[in-house]
Amino acid sequence: MSALAVVRPRPAAGPDVGAPSARGPRAAAPAATGRVRLAVAVSVLALGAGALFGAVALNASAAQAAVTARRLEGEVRAAERHHADLLVDVAELEDPARIRARALELGMIPAPAARHLVLRRAIAADGAPDPVLPGVADPLKPVLTQER
Amino acid sequence: MRGPRRRGASTPPPPPAVVVPVRRIRSAFAVVLVLIGLTVAQLVQVQVVDGAEHAARGERQRLRTVELPAVRGRIYDREGAVLATSVDAAAVHADPAAFRPTTRPDGTRVPAAGDRREVARALAPLLDLDPVALADRLDRDGRFVYLARQVDLATAEAVMDLRLPGIGMHVEPRRAYPSGGTAAQVVGFTGIDGAGLQGLEASHDHVLRGRSGTLLVEHAPGGLAIASGERELVPAEPGADLVLTLDREIQHVAERVAADVSARYDALGATVVVLEVGTGDVLGMASAPTFDPNARRTGDAAAWRNRAVTDLFEPGSTQKALTVAVALESGAITPATAFDVPDRLTVGGHTFTDVSRHGVERWTVGDVLARSSNVGTILVAERIGEEALREGLLALGQARPTGLGFPGEVAGHLPAADAWWATTLPTVAIGYGTSTTLLGLATSYATLANDGVRVTPRLVRGTVGLDGRLEPAPPAAAERVLSDRTAGVVLELLGAAVDGPGATGGLAAVPGYRVGGKTGTARKPLVDAAGYSDQYVASFVGVAPLDDPRLVVAVMVDAPQGAYYGGAVAAPAFAEVMHASLLARRIVPDGSGRSLDELVRSAAAAPAPTAP
Repeated sequence: MSALAVVRPRPAAGPDVGAPSARGPRAAAPAATGRVRLAVAVSVLALGAGALFGAVALNASAAQAAVTARRLEGEVRAAERHHADLLVDVAELEDPARIRARALELGMIPAPAARHLVLRRAIAADGAPDPVLPGVADPLKPVLTQER
Repeated sequence: MRGPRRRGASTPPPPPAVVVPVRRIRSAFAVVLVLIGLTVAQLVQVQVVDGAEHAARGERQRLRTVELPAVRGRIYDREGAVLATSVDAAAVHADPAAFRPTTRPDGTRVPAAGDRREVARALAPLLDLDPVALADRLDRDGRFVYLARQVDLATAEAVMDLRLPGIGMHVEPRRAYPSGGTAAQVVGFTGIDGAGLQGLEASHDHVLRGRSGTLLVEHAPGGLAIASGERELVPAEPGADLVLTLDREIQHVAERVAADVSARYDALGATVVVLEVGTGDVLGMASAPTFDPNARRTGDAAAWRNRAVTDLFEPGSTQKALTVAVALESGAITPATAFDVPDRLTVGGHTFTDVSRHGVERWTVGDVLARSSNVGTILVAERIGEEALREGLLALGQARPTGLGFPGEVAGHLPAADAWWATTLPTVAIGYGTSTTLLGLATSYATLANDGVRVTPRLVRGTVGLDGRLEPAPPAAAERVLSDRTAGVVLELLGAAVDGPGATGGLAAVPGYRVGGKTGTARKPLVDAAGYSDQYVASFVGVAPLDDPRLVVAVMVDAPQGAYYGGAVAAPAFAEVMHASLLARRIVPDGSGRSLDELVRSAAAAPAPTAP
């Protein structure tokens, strides 16, 4: 049912001498209908404008977000590229051949005979005294297995 | 009510008859119907019959699918040092049509956007190319031609800053090997399009390459992407990283020693293999000459070969330890068995001699091995016979693939059972008439060091996926081929071959460690004729520490000049590699070292070392 139907005047139930003529109420109804129509039209226009504005704003926001996403993707890509380059730089600097060549340039010489010193604690990890080292004054002091 | 009209009375004329052009209306209606029918038919044709094609054409015009190349996995050594990785580079390309005048379909003549010679002259210094060759490329037919690939991004950006007509660039991955030639023959290299061509890059390409992704973007007619347009991303899956068993420090020493010994003796080449006993891990695998995969086009392609697995050689005297092991395992001899050994022996009409002249000596098996006696070893082999010797050598891995799975690996050669002649037994027993790779020989010695259990060597520890966790490779296959007693006895004999009286491997000694090993000196067979040349292969294979073997090092020098004995040429190289490897693996000396006081006294007495 339309809004106009609601405000349409109902027909009189019977003759009424004191009542205005039938033409009077019928003349007042179009004025009310016009106002309602205007209100509805304005409402529809406002709703449409709001929807349009919302859609445009949403689209602009999405476009802005897309641009930001592209920029961030580019930054991530640049950072990854920088990381890969740094990785290569570090690996080049760690290269044993480069280190050896640089050391020789600095006047270093290869160690003629590197030796291991095998340290043994006077007590075992479980706290029990080591029977092979009974005379050690400081039980936590490491001693050399090589003969002194 | 009106009455009937009278005759003769004045009456208004009847209205003119209306003629309805029914036929015209019908014709017009028919025409309209036909037009509507045609329109509907065209609509059906466009929307229904050809709808899919038009939709696809529309998509093609506004949607573009960009392939996203997968990032190739890195290759690490066992400690995580980078041996191969990928970085971004650029390809510079051109549209040759931009340098030609063209005619549009409407007949309009469009002049060339630029002069190709001027553009070539501008590009040549940046791209380090010949301007004439560049100009020729710009003169080709078609709409796309590469001018340079894998160039630095900075170079490509400098090119784009010139704003030359018809010139463009795009980013592409480039494989980088930051350690230069380190493990170059093992790691291999990729082609310009990123596919593995050599070494592990080729054999594990399916692991490293990953899977390409796609990006669907909507773009305007000018080619600019529409920020809020359709966008569909299928991300690329990066390749898995490969973690090798190689130790970069050991690999570096092996390569340096191989290069040094090759240069010192002006040899054709030298190869070094370092194996970890028990796991079969290849800690080092080096060949000289080598190459830099970053600049491989400038070197000799023969240097790409991983000689440790691709080159066969006759093992010579290093075979004698295996012959003795087979004899001991068969029970034909014991460590105490002694032989009367002359310095020459004729078998099957061929006379075999020892290197040094001597009378008939009463030697044990240990003496035979320590002195590397050909005649003594033949006497040992005769105790076990052809079949047992052949089967025993096969069990130790001779003439069998090692199982490493490296591209181009060869298995070696041992004569088939029905091809043994009278001289085959003595020949094979002393390391002639059979061939092996250096890795195969090292694996056989690792079996001796591993209490008689043969472990398949391996180069890959595992892979690292997206979760960053190491997925270990399956453990290497193990197979017992000798009793632990036999293996232990042979190890002791090998120890005597280094530090015993009359030992040929004295120069293989490593300070602080007991070492066992065997020298090898074999003449090289002629390439295109029967017989042997006057060139030699010098080798040494050994294990350390002898009491609890952890490492096997094998050295082979191809055609050394001046000296050629394994004990003189290969043994010192072995000692240097073994010493560095033992230190790198933090392996404790096995008690043969001197006391600190002795060390201090000897250091004080020794002349001050000078820089080389």
